[in-house]
Amino acid sequence: MSRLEAKKPSLCKSEPLTSERVRDTLSVLKGIVTSCYGPSGRLKQLHNGLGGCVSTTSHSSALLANLSVTHPILKILTTSVQNHVSCFSDCGLFTAILCCNLIEKVQRTGLIPTTVIKLNKHLLSLCTSYLKTEACGCRIPVDFSSTQILLCLVRSILTSKPACMLTRKEIDHISTLILTAFLLTIPENAEDHIVLGKSIIVPLKGQRVIDSTVLPGILIEMSEVQLMKILPIKKSDSLKVALFCASLSGDLSDTGEGTVVIGYGVSLENAVLDQLLNLGRQLVSDHVDLVMCQKVIHPSLKQFLSMHRIIAIDRVGVALMEPLSTVTGTQPIGSLGSISPSSYGSVKDLCTAKFGFKHFFHLIPNETTVCSLLLCNRNDTAWDELKLTCETALHVLQLTIKEPLVLLGGGCTETHLAAYIRHKTFNEPESLPKDDGYTQTELQLITEAFCSALESIAGSLEHDGGEILTDMKYGHVWSVQADSPSVVNWPDFLSRCGCGLCNSQEELNWSFLRSTQHPFAPQTCLPHGAVGSANNLTLDCFTAKLSGLQVAVETANLILDLSYVIEDKN
Amino acid sequence: MAAAGSVKAALQVAEVLETIVSCCVGPEGRQVLCTKPTGEVLLSRDGGRLLEALHLEHPLARMMVACVSSHLRKTGDGAKTFIIFLCHLLRGLNAVTHKEKDSFVSKNIQTHGRHWKNCCQWKFISQALLTFQTQILDYVMDQHLSRHFLSIFSSSTKERTLCRSSLELLLEAYFCGRVGRNNHNFISQLMCDFFFKCMPCESEFEEVFELVDDCFVELNVGVTGLPVSDSRIIAGLVLHRDFSVYCPADGDIRIVLVTETIQPLFSTSGTEFILNSEAQFQTSQFWIMERTKAIMKHLQSQNIKLLLSSVKQPDLVVYYAGLNSISVVECLSSDEISLIQRITGLSPFMLPQASSQCEISNTALVKFCEPLILRSKRYVHLGLISTCPFIPHCLVLCGPVQGLVKQHEDALHGAFKMLRQLFKDLDLNYMTQVSDQNFISSPIYKNTTESSQLPEIVNGSIQRPYQGTIVKNKDELEKIQIYVKVYSNLVVPSVELETHGPCSTPKVTPTDTHQTDETLRCLSPKKTRVIDDHDPFIESNSTNSTRENSRIEISYENLQATKIAGNGDMLPVRYKSLEMGPSQNYCFSSIPAGCVLPVGGNFEILLHYYLLIYAKKCQQSEAAMVGMIIANALLGIPKILYKSKKGIHSFPQIYIRALHSLQTNQPMVSSQTGLESVSGKYQLLTSVLQCLTKILTIDLVINIKRQPQETYDLDSEEEL
Repeated sequence: MSRLEAKKPSLCKSEPLTSERVRDTLSVLKGIVTSCYGPSGRLKQLHNGLGGCVSTTSHSSALLANLSVTHPILKILTTSVQNHVSCFSDCGLFTAILCCNLIEKVQRTGLIPTTVIKLNKHLLSLCTSYLKTEACGCRIPVDFSSTQILLCLVRSILTSKPACMLTRKEIDHISTLILTAFLLTIPENAEDHIVLGKSIIVPLKGQRVIDSTVLPGILIEMSEVQLMKILPIKKSDSLKVALFCASLSGDLSDTGEGTVVIGYGVSLENAVLDQLLNLGRQLVSDHVDLVMCQKVIHPSLKQFLSMHRIIAIDRVGVALMEPLSTVTGTQPIGSLGSISPSSYGSVKDLCTAKFGFKHFFHLIPNETTVCSLLLCNRNDTAWDELKLTCETALHVLQLTIKEPLVLLGGGCTETHLAAYIRHKTFNEPESLPKDDGYTQTELQLITEAFCSALESIAGSLEHDGGEILTDMKYGHVWSVQADSPSVVNWPDFLSRCGCGLCNSQEELNWSFLRSTQHPFAPQTCLPHGAVGSANNLTLDCFTAKLSGLQVAVETANLILDLSYVIEDKN
Repeated sequence: MAAAGSVKAALQVAEVLETIVSCCVGPEGRQVLCTKPTGEVLLSRDGGRLLEALHLEHPLARMMVACVSSHLRKTGDGAKTFIIFLCHLLRGLNAVTHKEKDSFVSKNIQTHGRHWKNCCQWKFISQALLTFQTQILDYVMDQHLSRHFLSIFSSSTKERTLCRSSLELLLEAYFCGRVGRNNHNFISQLMCDFFFKCMPCESEFEEVFELVDDCFVELNVGVTGLPVSDSRIIAGLVLHRDFSVYCPADGDIRIVLVTETIQPLFSTSGTEFILNSEAQFQTSQFWIMERTKAIMKHLQSQNIKLLLSSVKQPDLVVYYAGLNSISVVECLSSDEISLIQRITGLSPFMLPQASSQCEISNTALVKFCEPLILRSKRYVHLGLISTCPFIPHCLVLCGPVQGLVKQHEDALHGAFKMLRQLFKDLDLNYMTQVSDQNFISSPIYKNTTESSQLPEIVNGSIQRPYQGTIVKNKDELEKIQIYVKVYSNLVVPSVELETHGPCSTPKVTPTDTHQTDETLRCLSPKKTRVIDDHDPFIESNSTNSTRENSRIEISYENLQATKIAGNGDMLPVRYKSLEMGPSQNYCFSSIPAGCVLPVGGNFEILLHYYLLIYAKKCQQSEAAMVGMIIANALLGIPKILYKSKKGIHSFPQIYIRALHSLQTNQPMVSSQTGLESVSGKYQLLTSVLQCLTKILTIDLVINIKRQPQETYDLDSEEEL
């Protein structure tokens, strides 16, 4: 009988956002995420007092996964960001900062939640529809005939993660590797339905970053002893492969729900072993050269196979099964009896390789979409961050293939959007749909809050005491060193905008981002033809940022709409 | 320790609950965040869920919550309104007892109070409530309210076909109270699209509701991390599993369903398998293998391309399936299996006992069968061909956090429950005899006693020094005369009425119609009483309407009463079934399926209005009292709904306009578009009244400090 215990009553709090404690915790969270943002963002050292390793990071997924958030409102915020990151890998910090800023700024206006939420949604749809139109001045179509833009995109992602501890040269090297690895996963003969392959990241810690490399096919790690046992392989065009998903260890499979009575002197082990050896004989007669097993291979069978010059690799693990199956073209075998000849596959070549202090088996496929990215970094924590960043970059490239657009990075998209919204609501209020739910003043108040929340994201790129300016023509971001004199000829101090698309040669007017902005219609910076030649642009993933924007505003709306928090104290 | 279980205590509890739920009521309602002990965070505007999450300790509160949950199980809607209404009822009752102690009260109230005090107070009221609920409520619903009902079905055709625009209005109003302010339009549109996509033809909607309600969990997929606007409908069925082996196939795809492992096992439960030699073991293993192979071959020869299994199949089966290019999906839940069976009419495939040469009959065709990737998780996407009136579609619900996705899922499920309820007829039955007697006797009685005994009948209200009102009443009387003239024209069909009821008791209808003369004559004194009667109630009700307003109301009341007299003649045509006995008349009627009313407190105002009229005509003082209290409590709901509105949309304005249009017999104009189910409201009302009777019958709450002995004693705990 289960123990009965009276449930404790829950704690019910009204108007949670008005409480001082919630505001404080929100601003602490905002401080944490804001300080991590961008290439010059500060790193966070996470260490668990109860043990485990210390990690240094500025990556939102690593950061938020380890923060122990207790207040339900913050929990909503962080899970929302984490969910976004698990969908898109990128723009986690952007989402978190925007959400925090929006809550804070909107609260300062003191309007009732109903109006605020309605207007926020309205402004959001203004943003998304602008970003989705051709006329949008902050997006660039991707030209797949050159790698320029994709390389810029990958490089921007790597640059924005200072915890990877990469030099400029290393960044170039790794971005090339990532792009190569990604291109290797695209099938050559593309039909109408493209299925991308997989890049497997193989860890190699303690080596120089420059030693990282990309190899087609699959690397399977092995101990040196194991590798020595394997005899030199007879050369032929290709090697025949059998891949087992069933255990070859000689254990008895499921015998059913009833009982099995075994007579005295009957040894099932022998019977099963006989069966395994029969299987081995079949493999030999089928001229198989390589046997791989997800689980364990019985030592006797292994011995038998190696006697017949068949290479046996066991304990491959479930994670590698699918890539192995695609690389070799085998069908995982689940039977110990007769094997259909159609289940065998082949590899082009097989060799052993040594990278750093690790030994690998390298399966070289005939034609495949699977590759291995051997990733090196000096220490564990920098490697972890680098791996996370590489995964992000690979994912972003996949997203970009689906939606061939990129957004301007370096804060330019945010300020440009803000300028656009401001212009729309202040200068062309008649273009907005009329709704009796709010007044013009309310609309302007919320627009101001929304825009300044967007702009403060651009502002949070600066961590060294410098100033952020914006120009009054394109609405891009320009940053100035901290120690520049206050009244100067701006073009002397500014060279390029945040994304690198505009330079200060043009006649532009600048104003401080923090000061009051006057509405103007932002223009598209360059005709699109010239984009390809522009080197070293800072770019952001379109899909991830668009969704991040939507998620941030939706989450902020959700939090602003809360009237009660009921905490279950059981 | 024991505490008196009084109305006061119950009121305190209900008021606390009311403050919490009233913040989420209606289109202006806001969200509540609930955390679970597991750390999960849930967003909700669902009253039932909120009350549950509170884990209340107070015994009366727990009783209320238990009542709410049992109501929700029945109808799936109205938890918040339940609490608000209950709270207002308690407030009304409490006010009456206060009046009783107060010496400065009107005399008729005092007599009621004294009367109740003499009787065993609450017990008596609770009985009156019960009588009201079982007899009068149905009567009022059927006789008066039913004229105002609208139908969700399109009126153009004879068959019951759903009208899309009405359904949209209904759903929009429903989701206004259930999901966040930004999403209700989107979600209601999504649901409407989903429903119409699932429905093969417009007349077979009931099966669709039933199926979707039963299997809603299987028909939706939640995806977190995406904006809500990415939610969509996909054709076909999405199983929450991945393929164990997937072989692309097109053209004719046949599927089979299995519920056991295909590979024969050594022994089944209850049997014993005796192994005598190693060779025997090997042969049996060989046999098992061959057998499995043969079965899979056989399936392939029957053109089967997909195997759906409720159990995990051994590696061997999966391997041979792959060899025979049969895709396999394992570990389907029993709910998923039963849904597939319901859609396709497929029964599980039985393994052929002897030889596998026979034809497999239990197969079904699917249009497509492919993997579906949602947020890097893989699902099985099946294009089932339906054999029942349901075209399979799935809802993909997106949201930034799980809590929001769950809220939308719950709201959608609740909407299907509500619709399912809406399409059922709801029986109303009441005894007409009682009411008839009332109605008939009153005018006759008054006829005779008009001049001399009237003051006594009307509880001495005539003696009240309401000079001002009386002066006013004279004006009213003139108006009444005008109306009477108007209606005297309408009384013509009373001849028809005679033909309708050829037997000796034609008085099933509200009377007054064929006795126009008497009614007219007695109207003036009677109405004077009504005013005096009504006045203190308006005050005790503590409406925010001004005194001036209540005056206006009164005059409307007066006029309305005449209107009713005139309206009676239209009613008999509406009766569906009418059983007349020589002595007692039982009326069996119903709220027909699909009855709706506009949202925004329409139902409450209508019922309030008719109850007031009823209460005035009623002879028994406690019945009148109960009617009054209920009528006034009903107004609590529209008051909250219009709380934030100003100007012409504020509650007093809406109320006056509604009453005005009622008395001039014009259609009521609602400021809000949207509809709500009548039967849902009716059921809510009865549930609240039952709950209230329960509360009133308790006189002592005894606290026991001991471990509960048996689990089933704590049934309220389970409901929580």
